[in-house]
Amino acid sequence: MIANIGTVLKSKKTIVVCSILLLLFAVIAVFAPWISPHDPVKVNLALKLKPPSAEHLLGTDHLGRDNLSRLLHGSRISLGVAFLIFVSAIGIGLLVGTIAGYLGGWVDAVLMRFCEGVMAFPSLVLVMGIVGIFGPGLMQVVLALMMVHWVYYARMIRTMVVSLKQREFITAARISGSSPWTIIRKHLIPNVLPPILVMGTLEMGWAIMDISALSFLGLGVQPPTPEWGAMIHEGKNFIRSHPELMIFPGLMILLVVIAFNVLGEALSERYGVKRRY
Amino acid sequence: MLLQVNGVTHTYRETSLFRRRVAKAPVLSNVSLTIEEGKCVGLLGTSGAGKSTLGKVILGLQAPQQGQVLFQGEDLYQASAHTRKRLRRDLQVVFQDCYSSVNPRMTAEQIIGEPLENYERLSVGEQKRRIGDLLEMVGLTPADMRKYPYQFSGGQLQRINIARAIALKPKLIVLDESVSSLDMVNQTLILDLFRELQSAFGLSYLFITHDIKAAYSISDALAVMEKGKMVEMCHDKNGIFTSEHPAVKSLVSSILPEHPRQRVLLSR
Repeated sequence: MIANIGTVLKSKKTIVVCSILLLLFAVIAVFAPWISPHDPVKVNLALKLKPPSAEHLLGTDHLGRDNLSRLLHGSRISLGVAFLIFVSAIGIGLLVGTIAGYLGGWVDAVLMRFCEGVMAFPSLVLVMGIVGIFGPGLMQVVLALMMVHWVYYARMIRTMVVSLKQREFITAARISGSSPWTIIRKHLIPNVLPPILVMGTLEMGWAIMDISALSFLGLGVQPPTPEWGAMIHEGKNFIRSHPELMIFPGLMILLVVIAFNVLGEALSERYGVKRRY
Repeated sequence: MLLQVNGVTHTYRETSLFRRRVAKAPVLSNVSLTIEEGKCVGLLGTSGAGKSTLGKVILGLQAPQQGQVLFQGEDLYQASAHTRKRLRRDLQVVFQDCYSSVNPRMTAEQIIGEPLENYERLSVGEQKRRIGDLLEMVGLTPADMRKYPYQFSGGQLQRINIARAIALKPKLIVLDESVSSLDMVNQTLILDLFRELQSAFGLSYLFITHDIKAAYSISDALAVMEKGKMVEMCHDKNGIFTSEHPAVKSLVSSILPEHPRQRVLLSR
């Protein structure tokens, strides 16, 4: 059974299915204003808490806003912010990780002790601390998550750079007259990036969860902006009478996070195996 | 004199943030060596004798604590950055591990082109032509340019490394166990290639190895190291057989006869 899961994960089909699913979400996020049937923030109390109908496919929430439109628009924030965090965290991680790994010595020691300090806190607690200082809001959450997530990349990249540095092609490049910057650009980053991108796919799921969790706690996206975590938060007052208000955004988070995690696992299963080249 | 190493002493020190630095036994103590233009010096010794460290010092990668390295009459470690870059051009290396010596994500063209890009600003077409020439020189074909390292065998990959080393027409190439990881047939072929290139470009070699047979076949002079000291320097390589030093004697006695039948059986 377990061996089966391994082969299923590794198969091309899994990667293709997950990629298509995520691509679909990306398309929805990009084209949300054009494909959603209603304005996601337009309040109409006369239509509040309506069951699904032809006009409102997934019904309406407690302020009479169209649930489907809010879900579609919510994907913009969840995916967009997760992607922003993914790119910036990898960017900072690359910079710090390669510098620490390549220079070594006290620069390495100082940077890595700092990273370990950040890692010692549970990330959500740290993010809540940062948001607590700067006040709630989407931008603050993005910054806070970025500040927490890059340390994982930095440490991973630093370890990879240290082991790459032992390889003779780096020495050979120095002897060929390449400057440290050229070595980082041409030899270190191309060898470090592919496995990091695979790891990053796994991290995307976490980022989406974190954003939603913070929004659920009221620290992230502020109403009336539609966001999945915030929608669950708003829906929790009606959990007995209208559980679908929580179920739909929950399902969206579930789907995206599972897709990212399975894709990440499949990719690392397929490409993460240490090959000689 | 192309290269002159004078009384080089070096100790690797442990660097630690909290502990005091502990000095260990020197890896090199008062080592001197000279290489004349167009000659090959074989540097022998058991593992841990300090051969590779000496190679690093000569290549300008490891500043020694004492002593100096004169390359073409200029001190490698005292020279200005500009002079150093110029001197480095004439100093190249071929390592033992041919797989680890090339970036797996680069094509042969990019690998060989790296020193050319750093020192000679050639047009794209000109550089391609030069790389093609270099590949032919080491016994490959220009069509191999587009291949990645995993598409080559060990022997072929070592030829790529050699092509990169000779790309700038250097004066001295340090061969750090360059043939040790190859099989016997490839060893012979690569040694032949070294000899060819030597006569074609007037190259000098520092041939670092523990394999006395390979060193004897290619070198003009032989040097033997033991525990960081230079224990024998034979300007005529045949002097190695008459040396009285125990380390040299044990090296010489380790040579196997060409044919197994001539081996003296250990049984009584």
